[in-house]
Amino acid sequence: MSRNVTISLAVLGGFALILAGLLFATRPDAAQPAAAGETYAVPEAPRLNDAPDAQVTMVEFLDFQCPGCAQLQPVMSQIADQYGDRVDFVIRYFPLPSHQNAEPAAVAAEAAHQQGQFVPMYERIFQTQPQWAEQDDAAGVFRGYAEELGLDMAAYDAAVAAPATLERVNADEQAGVDAGVGGTPTFFVDGEQLRPESVQDITDALDRALGEQGR
Amino acid sequence: MTGPATSRAVPAGTADSPAVPGPVPRTLPWLLTLGGAIGLLAAFTLTVERFELLVDPSYTPSCSINPVLSCGSVMTTEQAALFGFPNPLLGIAGFAVVLTSGVVLLAGARLPLWYWGGLLAGAGAGTVFVHWLIFQSLYRIGALCPYCMVVWAVTIPIFAYVALAVLDRAGAAVRPLYAGLARYHAVPVVLWFVVIIGLALQRFWTYWSSLL
Repeated sequence: MSRNVTISLAVLGGFALILAGLLFATRPDAAQPAAAGETYAVPEAPRLNDAPDAQVTMVEFLDFQCPGCAQLQPVMSQIADQYGDRVDFVIRYFPLPSHQNAEPAAVAAEAAHQQGQFVPMYERIFQTQPQWAEQDDAAGVFRGYAEELGLDMAAYDAAVAAPATLERVNADEQAGVDAGVGGTPTFFVDGEQLRPESVQDITDALDRALGEQGR
Repeated sequence: MTGPATSRAVPAGTADSPAVPGPVPRTLPWLLTLGGAIGLLAAFTLTVERFELLVDPSYTPSCSINPVLSCGSVMTTEQAALFGFPNPLLGIAGFAVVLTSGVVLLAGARLPLWYWGGLLAGAGAGTVFVHWLIFQSLYRIGALCPYCMVVWAVTIPIFAYVALAVLDRAGAAVRPLYAGLARYHAVPVVLWFVVIIGLALQRFWTYWSSLL
């Protein structure tokens, strides 16, 4: 075998070995049915409502740059109003790699969440999606929203710059991958993945879950 | 013709040198013919899909972690028509020339250095364009489109081996450079592929690791 072929094969072999090693080292835990009581809600995640006596937990994994999530946002806000006393509406970040501004959007929303202002920021970011989706400086756009919402800008800037904020977003994304989230929006009602095709499907699932609790 | 191509004593470009220059004179016509045909088909398919998209701009609102499923999104971006018309039209013209050159060589033609130089200029421009598209696809659009990747994959070896063929005929000044490259001609191409595949894996790692 010529050295041309030998070296080429060695390069390919080395690459395959490194790849296999990386895949093995970073493989997610096998997606398995949620453990009993696993709702995918975490205490630090933002909520659409404040429901200390909620019987049911609904979790949405969302991407701020996903048009489907933006279309659903007014619906979700309405459902959160309607069921807000009985259902805990939890938001978790799932910025997709194909959306360049999804991550800065999640970081901005998380920074607002740290000041207790998640919902207005979340609504603002979704409702203006076409204006910042292709922008090079989306973070600057979001900072403008934070100013308009009257946030403490020193705290906001510190939160956006803090690595811990991005880590919170990445932790949500990893939790989503481990839970079998393959896209956005993805919903879990009491830990069970919901595949809604209409708004009715969402409210039906909530009614069913609440009915089971009532029994 | 005896001995390895690199130790030929005849002056480059004379009638005594082989009809096809470069380190792989028997493979190069096939590389151009098949590479050109595959590239042509991919570019043609992309153009047809582009027309269908104009007719039926149906739109899926949900978003997937899978970069390949976002394929339709690649074609609607502004990068997909850099010069004001769909990019694959350039591919149709370029790959048709590559295919024809391969067939002409298979037919036994002997092409002059200026022709190889022209082929190299075209392949070089195509290679620069393809790398711009790779960068845009990975880091700006964030999606992978299978037919585009076919075009990337054929453009790189076509450029590499046409460049070697030109070096082979280019004269005594580049002889040592050519001799070194010709001995290990496959290594740069393999490294080139490994780097690009590595970047695509790294960029969409969340998705690839979720497949396991």
